Amino acid sequence: MSFEKITLELKEGIYYLGFGKNEPKSLTVITEQTLLELDQAFEDISKDKNAKGLVLFSHKPDCFLAGMDVTVIQSLSSEIEATNGCEKGQSVFNKIEDMKIPSIALVDGVCLGGGLEMILACDKIICSDNSKTALGLPEVMLGVLPGFGGTYRLPKKVGLVNSLDYLLTGKQIKAKKAVKLGLVEYIMPKERMLEKAAEYLFKKEESKTLQETLTEKASESFIARGVIFRKARQTVLEKTKGFYPAPLKILDHLENSYGKRRSSYLANEARAFGELSQTSQSKALQHVFFLHDNAKKIENKDEVQSVSHGAVLGGGTMGGGIAWLMANSGQAPILKDINNAGLELGLKQASLVFSKALKRRKISMDQFQRKQRSIKPTLSYNGFKKVDLVVEAVIEKMDIKKAVFTEVEKHVGSDCLLTSNTSSLSIEEMSGALEKPERFAGLHFFNPVNKMPLVEIIKHSKVSDETVDRLYKWVLDVKKVPVVVNDCPGFLVNRILAPFLNEAAYLLEEGVSIESIDSAVLNFGMPMGACRLMDEIGLDVCAHVGEIMETGLGARAKANPLSQAAVEAGLLGKKNKKGFYTYDEKEKSSGVNPDMTKLIQDHGSNDMDETTIQMRLILPMINEAASILDEKIVTNADAVDLGVIFGIGFPPFRGGLLRYADNEGLDRIVGAIKKFASEVNADRYALSSYLQKLVDDKKKFYEA
Amino acid sequence: MQAVYLVKGNRGPQAKSGTILKDVAAPYLGHYLIRDIMDQVDIPVDEVDEVIVGNTGNPAKFPNVGRVIALEAGLDKKTSGYSVHRNCASGMEALSQAYVKIALGRSDVIFAGGVESMSQMPLLFGEKMTEFFIDMMKAKSPADKMKVFSSFRFPYLNPVIAIEQGLTDPFCGLNMGQTAEKLAREFNLTREQQDQFANDSHAKAIKAQAEGKFVDEIVGIIAGKNMDTLVTEDNGPRGDSSMEKLAKLRPYFEKRTGTVTVGNSCPITDGGSMWLLCSEAAVKKYNLEPMARMVDFHFHGLEPERMGLGPVMAMDGVFKRTGMSLEQMDLVEINEAFAAQVLGCLEVMKSKELSERWKVEKLGELDLNKLNVNGGAIALGHPVGSTGSRLVVTLAHELAKQKKQYGVASLCIGGGQGGAVIIENLVR
Repeated sequence: MSFEKITLELKEGIYYLGFGKNEPKSLTVITEQTLLELDQAFEDISKDKNAKGLVLFSHKPDCFLAGMDVTVIQSLSSEIEATNGCEKGQSVFNKIEDMKIPSIALVDGVCLGGGLEMILACDKIICSDNSKTALGLPEVMLGVLPGFGGTYRLPKKVGLVNSLDYLLTGKQIKAKKAVKLGLVEYIMPKERMLEKAAEYLFKKEESKTLQETLTEKASESFIARGVIFRKARQTVLEKTKGFYPAPLKILDHLENSYGKRRSSYLANEARAFGELSQTSQSKALQHVFFLHDNAKKIENKDEVQSVSHGAVLGGGTMGGGIAWLMANSGQAPILKDINNAGLELGLKQASLVFSKALKRRKISMDQFQRKQRSIKPTLSYNGFKKVDLVVEAVIEKMDIKKAVFTEVEKHVGSDCLLTSNTSSLSIEEMSGALEKPERFAGLHFFNPVNKMPLVEIIKHSKVSDETVDRLYKWVLDVKKVPVVVNDCPGFLVNRILAPFLNEAAYLLEEGVSIESIDSAVLNFGMPMGACRLMDEIGLDVCAHVGEIMETGLGARAKANPLSQAAVEAGLLGKKNKKGFYTYDEKEKSSGVNPDMTKLIQDHGSNDMDETTIQMRLILPMINEAASILDEKIVTNADAVDLGVIFGIGFPPFRGGLLRYADNEGLDRIVGAIKKFASEVNADRYALSSYLQKLVDDKKKFYEA
Repeated sequence: MQAVYLVKGNRGPQAKSGTILKDVAAPYLGHYLIRDIMDQVDIPVDEVDEVIVGNTGNPAKFPNVGRVIALEAGLDKKTSGYSVHRNCASGMEALSQAYVKIALGRSDVIFAGGVESMSQMPLLFGEKMTEFFIDMMKAKSPADKMKVFSSFRFPYLNPVIAIEQGLTDPFCGLNMGQTAEKLAREFNLTREQQDQFANDSHAKAIKAQAEGKFVDEIVGIIAGKNMDTLVTEDNGPRGDSSMEKLAKLRPYFEKRTGTVTVGNSCPITDGGSMWLLCSEAAVKKYNLEPMARMVDFHFHGLEPERMGLGPVMAMDGVFKRTGMSLEQMDLVEINEAFAAQVLGCLEVMKSKELSERWKVEKLGELDLNKLNVNGGAIALGHPVGSTGSRLVVTLAHELAKQKKQYGVASLCIGGGQGGAVIIENLVR
């Protein structure tokens, strides 16, 4: 049998099995073909009586194996098919474990999912000192569990408690940590790994220390295990609020299987995988995975001119956040403001994020120094000639922004991209201030910049494709998620979020309590209650956005007067510690603000049921998203769902707003909107013709 | 010999040690100054030949601070970088090495300057403690270890203060303040004269700050433990300085009979300064508008115990070398390590007899209106590694403002030397 996906070479009795030889993509994944070839190869090696050892390695730098091809998981259409698939994979990897000869894996770069499961079956693992080297079992993030023996072999290698940490979160393990855990034997320079493999293949393992043996013995005990699982289950429920079945299933499976023989352990694993693979949550998470993965693809990537040096205008919270992003990505930004106080605000914002990373040991003090000091705070335009990208983040006033762009255009080179981080002003109108509008676009970040992955790239009539392509590439370079949007009030995300927040205010007016609204929203799976979100955004900003939406979109976006009234009463949200909730010095919430409840015109208490509250808030979003597609603000449903998931944290287990709508059935959605239109308000629930047409054509958002 | 141009010069704010700049490590007092200059000129990062940085309190973590600064500034990796140490004139030494390299046609584009974080100068273990550590490491068996361990004595832990040792002359055994006291005694410089000089220095510096004289030369620096504040001004000058307040201070170096106090000496300071020096060819190639031309420099040695008179010999030397004279100088900077030491220099310059004693021929009495017009180190501070180039930065900016032609910057150097640089203003 000749191999395509793998290479196999015999040298002095040792088999060298390599991956990624002819792989054009930067990451090698395991396909069904790979498994077939591996099965054959392991079979052959087992039969060779003269074989002395097996070495697994990758031809590709920075990637050992990036796991199973997710399209394979996605194509599994039944529990039985999924379970059978797992069993096949398990039997292939068992062959490594059952070999009489020693085996060793040489990992340079990422080794994830099925890749790690495979090498867990080897006797030893050696990692390269490459900073990109990382191991992990991210299956839980796709709503499943490692189905090729990972749940069986990882606990055996690193102990039950440690393995839970990685199985339940999917987080990656760097080489040094992996050695500490006992998962990896040695770290070596990658250039030396292959030549040293044979030597280390036969090296005797160092015996375990007393402490390691004791820890192992401790987790073997039946009682200790009970405590471990109870505690883990509690943590999982706190973190996932029960929305995600995979981590709980992993715990159930481990508790049942731990200590059992390999065959029954693996059979349980395969069955659990099968069950999880068909849950709606897993399907939704796979959908999100592909949304994200597709967003990372750029055609002719190498032809797009890179942006490597940026400048930020305006040192406020957003300006400082964007400066942080550039500094963190090694792009030594210029931060320009009109006074030192503004610059210091920006520096504080960046420093705050770096300090937190330092505390969590994500960066060292030296890195903090270097990165923070790579920001050049200045009042002048010196150096703007050398930047590729300017992001404007000054005050949200059209005339000021226009004046800023007219000025900055004089100081930059002809290739420099000019962008505005406006959240509410018209990009089309702003582009009028520029002599060369083709290099101008909106570049909308979300607050806080370090936490929010989404960045909207907003087009206008004169923008060039090159500008959009370069911005898209840059957003990916700084590890954010780009979405290209046409200009409209609120762009994509805020336009969808606005009716949600606006409707929450109307619910309050109808007498629904702050607590009921927020708990209904949380129970839907949103990361934050609607009222709490308004506190975070700031009620002044909410009032401003409400006004813009109403002006731009008309009667259906009629702004509820509550946020304006709150601003007048001095309730601005978290920023001045008084909003729907009150906040203490450390910005911790200390309960509902009585001043706000007084402000809400009380129409008596309304004990609306949770589902109705949820529908009242979610349906206007779906309806608005339909209008957005109708107006071709974005190209397809993918973009909408990417926006709501990465921009406002719409629950990933629902796969996105439109995916949720499709799953619920658009005819039912339309029916509910119509019902609210007649019972609540005809303007705000005026059905989008696009949505009506989908129903008439018996189509879904994702089929349009 | 080719002309050497001082294209652009800048400096950071200077702060008394242990204050606002105490968290800034030495390389970060300099790297951003280069970046600031690079942002104003059209020189590609890979066209800079060399970075030369004066520094005396060599940080253990950055043994060659010049190279670190070159890399942190974003210059190309091929740009070489090194550090120089000539005590108080290290920054001037950096300029003079750049001068020689460019004048000889070996280099075209060089950054030269100095940095000093006197806040971050280390405390060291003494020799006894070091020996103890070595013995401990050598000891193999537990018994040996116990034996070595029992030799430990608590006084071993007494630290050696690097900064204190650095400011004491190893040859004559006097610390710098004691050399100033010696000059005060020899020239009969009274406490009042010294205090008056110090008071004037503060008054001139405060006036210069109020008039915004330093705004063009100072580049704000990110400071604070969390690196979230911006420092843009020197914190040394005292608006409330007065003769009464200065008179209250006790002599620091000779407690009973002395005249030198912390009030009429320069404070220990953190700071950095930087120059871009270019050849004629580079000036043309990159279309540069140099601030000044570096005419020449001179270093001169004398008795270590009278190191404070160094500027006199150095200025005399550079005038002899160039055939120029003190009268041609529109502005003069003599670094103010101690009031007594500057006053001593002035005494030598105006006295024929004293001049002859030190073979000074080209000086004569100095017009005090030309001297340190924006105040000196007593008010502004003296970050040792940087001052030599800082003086030239301040001098060049002032010549440009006054539209005058020539200036000389000079300083005394611990160990018994003086250094001087003549520049010609090119800003019209």
